[in-house]
Amino acid sequence: MTSSWKQQLVQVLLVLVSCGHGDTKTAAPTPTPLPPVTPLKQDAKSAVLTGKNFTERVELSSPVNMTLSCTWKGDQDKPPNITGHWRKDGQEIQDSRVTVMLEDENYKLIQVFSVVSEKDLGNYSCVFGNEARIDFILEVLQMGEKRDKPVVSYIRDFVVMTCKVEENKPIPTTWNWYTSNGTDKEQINTTASKRFKIVSEERETKLKVKDLTLDDAGQYYCGAVYPIGTSVGQVELKVITFMEPLKPFITILIEVVVLVAAILLYERSRAKKDSAEGTQTNAEQNTEPQGDDKGAEGNDSVRQRK
Amino acid sequence: MYSASFPLSVKLGVCELNMPPAAVTNLGYVPPDGGWGWAVVVGAFISIGFSYAFPKSLTIYFKEIQEYFSVSYSEIAWVSSVMLASMYAGGPVSSILVNRYGSRPVVMVGGLMVSIAMVLASLGTTIIHLYLCVGVIGGFGLAFNLQPALTIIGTYFQVKRPLANGLAMTGSPVVLSTFAPLNQFLFDSFGWRGSFLVLGSIVLNCCVAGALMRPVDKRVRFKPSDGPPRCEGGAAEEAAEVDVSAQSADPAPEDGPAESKSQSYISRYIDFSLFRHNGFLIYLSGSVVMFFGFFAPVVFLAPYAKHQGTDEYSAALLLSIFALVDMFIRPITGFIGNSKWVRPRIQYFFSFAVSYNGVCHLLCPLASGYEGLVVYAVFYGLAFGMLSALLFEALMDLVGAHRFSSAVGLVTIIECGPVLLGPPISGALVDTFRDYKYMYYACGIFMLVPGIFFFIMHYYNYKKVNEELMQSALVISNNKEALQLRINQDDETMKSKYGLDTVD
Repeated sequence: MTSSWKQQLVQVLLVLVSCGHGDTKTAAPTPTPLPPVTPLKQDAKSAVLTGKNFTERVELSSPVNMTLSCTWKGDQDKPPNITGHWRKDGQEIQDSRVTVMLEDENYKLIQVFSVVSEKDLGNYSCVFGNEARIDFILEVLQMGEKRDKPVVSYIRDFVVMTCKVEENKPIPTTWNWYTSNGTDKEQINTTASKRFKIVSEERETKLKVKDLTLDDAGQYYCGAVYPIGTSVGQVELKVITFMEPLKPFITILIEVVVLVAAILLYERSRAKKDSAEGTQTNAEQNTEPQGDDKGAEGNDSVRQRK
Repeated sequence: MYSASFPLSVKLGVCELNMPPAAVTNLGYVPPDGGWGWAVVVGAFISIGFSYAFPKSLTIYFKEIQEYFSVSYSEIAWVSSVMLASMYAGGPVSSILVNRYGSRPVVMVGGLMVSIAMVLASLGTTIIHLYLCVGVIGGFGLAFNLQPALTIIGTYFQVKRPLANGLAMTGSPVVLSTFAPLNQFLFDSFGWRGSFLVLGSIVLNCCVAGALMRPVDKRVRFKPSDGPPRCEGGAAEEAAEVDVSAQSADPAPEDGPAESKSQSYISRYIDFSLFRHNGFLIYLSGSVVMFFGFFAPVVFLAPYAKHQGTDEYSAALLLSIFALVDMFIRPITGFIGNSKWVRPRIQYFFSFAVSYNGVCHLLCPLASGYEGLVVYAVFYGLAFGMLSALLFEALMDLVGAHRFSSAVGLVTIIECGPVLLGPPISGALVDTFRDYKYMYYACGIFMLVPGIFFFIMHYYNYKKVNEELMQSALVISNNKEALQLRINQDDETMKSKYGLDTVD
């Protein structure tokens, strides 16, 4: 009889211990996450779908708990309930299939997503039935003032490339610059190569490259680092020699010289023809043909008479 | 005294002169009014176009230069201001040189100067370098283009002068419109250094313009047969005498021996007696006030549009509309100014143009929405073009062609202040009140008041000149009658004395 009493005591103790661990009612498949240091901000985005497809871009800079809600007006035949699910980057999210009831002629899907790091960004879609879809593209905020034309500079000269974030957008934590190495992006290390100098202010960064060579031409990338990820801007650099603008310069120079010579020669030949025709038209000739100086003096005397 | 190139109705015995016969000027020769003169207009078109459009078109490079030298926007904007200031301050220097050497050498030297300035600037290493090269040397070079171009038109044209002036002033919007996309193309291809180099060669075309400015042939003297068909040749000659004697009736005292040597030396090259010329003083005082409000509305048109909510592309389109209207109205204005109803009263036409500008700006704040702004751009283009076409024609009309060179030099250096201060003052108004409408009201007042002033003053001036010419004409005809009487008397005495038959 003592062993069964001992067993019961152990069981009671076990129950007490398990009760003391708290209310773990639901069997969560994932381990309990560590409590976050700062409370996550809340944000919500919603969209209404009238056709088959709709896309909305959402720019983020710091981690959020994002509530996405989709409303669909439905098809011609509106069944009382349909199946809806969520996808991330085209892949269906596990356990997201729910049955959606028809309320006020609309179907509604709402889900909260925890967006903490760069891998949580992407294309979140809510799908009604099999076809009707709303895409929410969650991405790092893009930089304004994209420069689509290349920056041109010269050999042995220097160049300054700038990236800016608009006034009303949040300030990046830090700035990085990358140069393209084949298909990869390689970060520029200013201590390693003396030719590169990075000056970063809050909303602006400048990359100064000195002593340019033809090899320096290509794509450069500026990265604005945010808590959620890095926003990348692109600047293209073109390096040319001074010969390039010199060619049109010399062409136009030749054109000018030719025109001036032609005009002056034409005038010289006309003047010779005139003087060869004789001086019969000049009855009161008291000034020379190129009488600008004399004319000025003549005017002088007229002026003085006044 | 007053320039007798005013075409007024003067009764001289039998004859009535309506349009000015070529002799009623103090030029001493007959301006061709055509022929090579049109080639000169082309040359002036190029020179004036470069002078006005070049500083404005350089602004496209400022952003990159600002990043390159790591300076603030206002420091870069100084390049434009220094260039404009040098261009206006170089006016008197230009006048002296034109008076001495004629238009052609000055324009060619000016073109060379700007070219060298741009080439040096393309090699520049500091922003000061740019101020000196582009600003000072470039500005002076452009001054050496502007004045002679205007002056030479006055020597080649008399009858068709307003038309020639209008055509030449069209150079400004045309060159500006071609430079805008050209500069963009150069910038995308070569960056700012290469663009400055190529611009240096493009601006050498001013030398071509200078080559066209052949000094006018002054051997062609007054021919009696060229006078207006209604008048007899003799009466037209009398008109010339009226002119001459009107001048001699009032000898100028300033060149007396008591004056110091240096003053008379300078006054040989710049005519300071202009400050005693009523017409010149009217023009000067009016335009000093007017220029405060002249350029600012152009500068702020695009920012105002963006402030109203239009996008950048539509705002730029407004400026294009403005330039297009401007381009077409200038020759038309010249043509109207040449017509026989307007030419005698061209100062009133000028006053109207100034006042119309003022009214346009005062009504601008009433424009609502983008369509309203388009309407405003059209009307402003009309106003601006009209005024620009007449700006120098009015001065030429007042002081006469041969004093024009000195006059325009003095006018530009005095206008230097308002031209430079105008946009910053307007900008300050916009910043203080955070609303563009006060700036437009101010500019409207700045232009309307001189316009009305011009109307009133020229009414009196025209009357005074009319009276003076009538008086001189009376004097001449009195003298003529007196002389005729004396001759008759002498005949009689001769007859009675010697009983001879005189041959009449």
